[in-house]
Amino acid sequence: MDNKTIINMRDIVMSFSGNRVLDGVHFTLREGEVHSLMGANGAGKSTLIKILNGIHHPVSGSIEIDGVPVRIREPKDAERHGLAFVHQELNVCRDMTVAENMYIGNWARDAMGLYDRRKTAQNAAHLLEMMGIDLDPYVTVRNLRTAEKQIIEILKTLTRNARVIILDEPTSSLNEKEKENFFDIIAKLKHQGVSIIFISHFLEDVMQLSDRVTVLKDGLNNGIFTRGSFAKEDLVTAMMGRSVENTVYRPLDLTEGGPLALELQHLSVERKFSDVDMRIQVGDIVGVCGLLGAGKTEIARAIFGMESITSGKIILFGEEISQPRPDRMLAKRVTLLTEERKLEGFVPLLSIRENTTLSILKHFRRRVTINLDAQRKRAEELAASMHIKMADIEQPVGSLSGGNQQKVVIAKCLASLPRLFLLDEPTRGVDVLAKLEIYKILRKAAEEGTTVVIFSSELEELLANCSKIIILKKGRAVGMVDSNQVTKNELMAMIG
Amino acid sequence: MQSIYRMRRRLADDAMRLAIVAAFFIFMPIASPYFLNMKNMMNILQNISLQGITAIGMTMVIITGGIDISVGGVMAFCVWVSASLMKSGMPWGFAILICLGIAAVCGSVNAFSIGVMKIPPMIATLAMMNMTRGLQTVISRGTTLTGLPDSFQFIGQGMVFGVIPLPAIIIVVLYLLASWFMKRTVMGRNIYAVGGNPEAARVAGIKNRRVLFFTYIACSMFATIAGIIFISRTNSAPATLGTNLEMRAIMAAVIGGTSVTFGGKGKIFGTFLGVVIVGLITNGLDLMGVSAYYQQFIQGVLVLTVVMLEAIRSNHAARKH
Repeated sequence: MDNKTIINMRDIVMSFSGNRVLDGVHFTLREGEVHSLMGANGAGKSTLIKILNGIHHPVSGSIEIDGVPVRIREPKDAERHGLAFVHQELNVCRDMTVAENMYIGNWARDAMGLYDRRKTAQNAAHLLEMMGIDLDPYVTVRNLRTAEKQIIEILKTLTRNARVIILDEPTSSLNEKEKENFFDIIAKLKHQGVSIIFISHFLEDVMQLSDRVTVLKDGLNNGIFTRGSFAKEDLVTAMMGRSVENTVYRPLDLTEGGPLALELQHLSVERKFSDVDMRIQVGDIVGVCGLLGAGKTEIARAIFGMESITSGKIILFGEEISQPRPDRMLAKRVTLLTEERKLEGFVPLLSIRENTTLSILKHFRRRVTINLDAQRKRAEELAASMHIKMADIEQPVGSLSGGNQQKVVIAKCLASLPRLFLLDEPTRGVDVLAKLEIYKILRKAAEEGTTVVIFSSELEELLANCSKIIILKKGRAVGMVDSNQVTKNELMAMIG
Repeated sequence: MQSIYRMRRRLADDAMRLAIVAAFFIFMPIASPYFLNMKNMMNILQNISLQGITAIGMTMVIITGGIDISVGGVMAFCVWVSASLMKSGMPWGFAILICLGIAAVCGSVNAFSIGVMKIPPMIATLAMMNMTRGLQTVISRGTTLTGLPDSFQFIGQGMVFGVIPLPAIIIVVLYLLASWFMKRTVMGRNIYAVGGNPEAARVAGIKNRRVLFFTYIACSMFATIAGIIFISRTNSAPATLGTNLEMRAIMAAVIGGTSVTFGGKGKIFGTFLGVVIVGLITNGLDLMGVSAYYQQFIQGVLVLTVVMLEAIRSNHAARKH
């Protein structure tokens, strides 16, 4: 490891309105290495990265690139130094082609100085081939899957001669197969001398990819690990400050034939899924798994009335629901935690108080006004039971960390005291500790009689929490397994 | 303690606007001895009542993430109908009820196009603007109606305690009511939720369409109320009634800190300050004897300056966050 150091961040201190979020953090990146950055939600990862990108300016500390002290005032400066950022939210132009997106802003020109579509596509095809990616450069990006869009974002950085690529949670929406492809691409990039900063909550992915791992905790360095000299548990301990025993819950024991909370009979939504049957017992925790496009999200949304049903029946606690609609389903005490937290989960400018009570606002009506005291009290109870980390109940939810935002959304769902709680990818982008807390909350809700259905692509999550797992494949329910009698690999084979 | 903290935070949002208003009150008396005159103050309130009351509804619409450029046309049409009904001998109370009813229909059509047919608000209300302007031209044939009932003229010209014009009281009361409504009622909060994140609102069981219907109807009705006060004050309904009203209302909301780029952000009190600032600018220019030819240009420059200062402040605040 005598490769030269490209980036050297020293003693970085950062504070927001008197609150120290980084307190003398160090971070170095060597040429051709994959260096992961880990930490719980709110540990300071994203602040550190934003400093590198020129979005935040540190109070003190220094940044050296190639041994020369630099000041990164704005994202343009970062780009000039060869740093490229791939964010969780992808910035592709959806109605342009793959090639146009890869070379956006530097398209090939012809002799007249006009845009040369063919040459741009040729350049793109060349780069795609070099990276071993099977994609047509002329295809419109709108029609691609998320994983493919992400690959385009990474290739885009290469067309701008990036030497350092910063990847923020790149694997969270990939399935196992796509992950393998992604790891191949990373390996090729490394081979070409590109260095990578990898930010992720997925311990397995970090273990597999990283040459080194820097762990942050509460704005301080809390350990740096070199490949081969640490175990997964070391990372967790460093992140959380204590070891977190991997709670493998014994799934609930329920005798067959109890009353049903939810029954689906031949439910179909055109072009999404068809002929799905499901029988879920009261008080059970059931998982639904499948690959991307198998219909998980769509089924959850159809039950909650956010997709129009073409045929089939939904029977809720013995009552047939002919036309589900979100407000009607809520009145029947069914609630849905949607997959897209930012798009559908919360109102960013409103406070924790308002977001947690959003769906039960009417309950606080006192004549014509809202009883603010009652609302605040209920919101505070909810926030406390979810362990939401906040300055004040009036803090806007948009300013919380991802894990805490998710807890707010779950609090909002539980505030309506649901009989049936549907969750779509409940722990995406959430750190280990918050994950465990969310599982605990769901268990408690189940013990109190709420029926929980988790739609997830994280098989470990389902195996650890659900008594049964329903398997979806290409829009059909192909089977149901007892999670005590199946391993992760068997499950993977079933969905694949 | 906490309430003081909250109060300070609330005022901080409006710091720039309050400072501008304060600046007027410090410097204008030096420039003109008439400025601080009670009569002049009341004059300002009276002059801003047309765009001021319209801006209340406009602020609500913009908070839902939409825009309503039909307010000028809707107001002109409805008010013209009620003026001609009054002229034909109908009791003015009835005439007002009928014109508010027409305004509600116009607002519902806007809400239907936007909420149900999913037509972009700018386009839907552009069509409504043309329809109502067209109808108003047909019935008015470019003439001006005058000679409205004396008792009706009291609304716009009446004085309370001999010094305070009724329109000044109406505008203040409507602002207080609207501000309270947006802060403290379920519908008010739902307007913020729908604007801040329509999908999240739907998942939370809020009936987005109902909220949109309410808001667009309210917007048309506020504009019409403003128009009625206006014709009562001037005792005339000209054919050019309400020209540029939508732009002036949007401007007031924007100066007041309401965001037109994304929904869910804005306050009625901010809009009030916005309206007052525009009123003070106009009044100041008048008092200093600036020719009407230059006024529009100078107003434009000042408004742009205010919006830019606000943008600098909020960008700075966003960075710190």
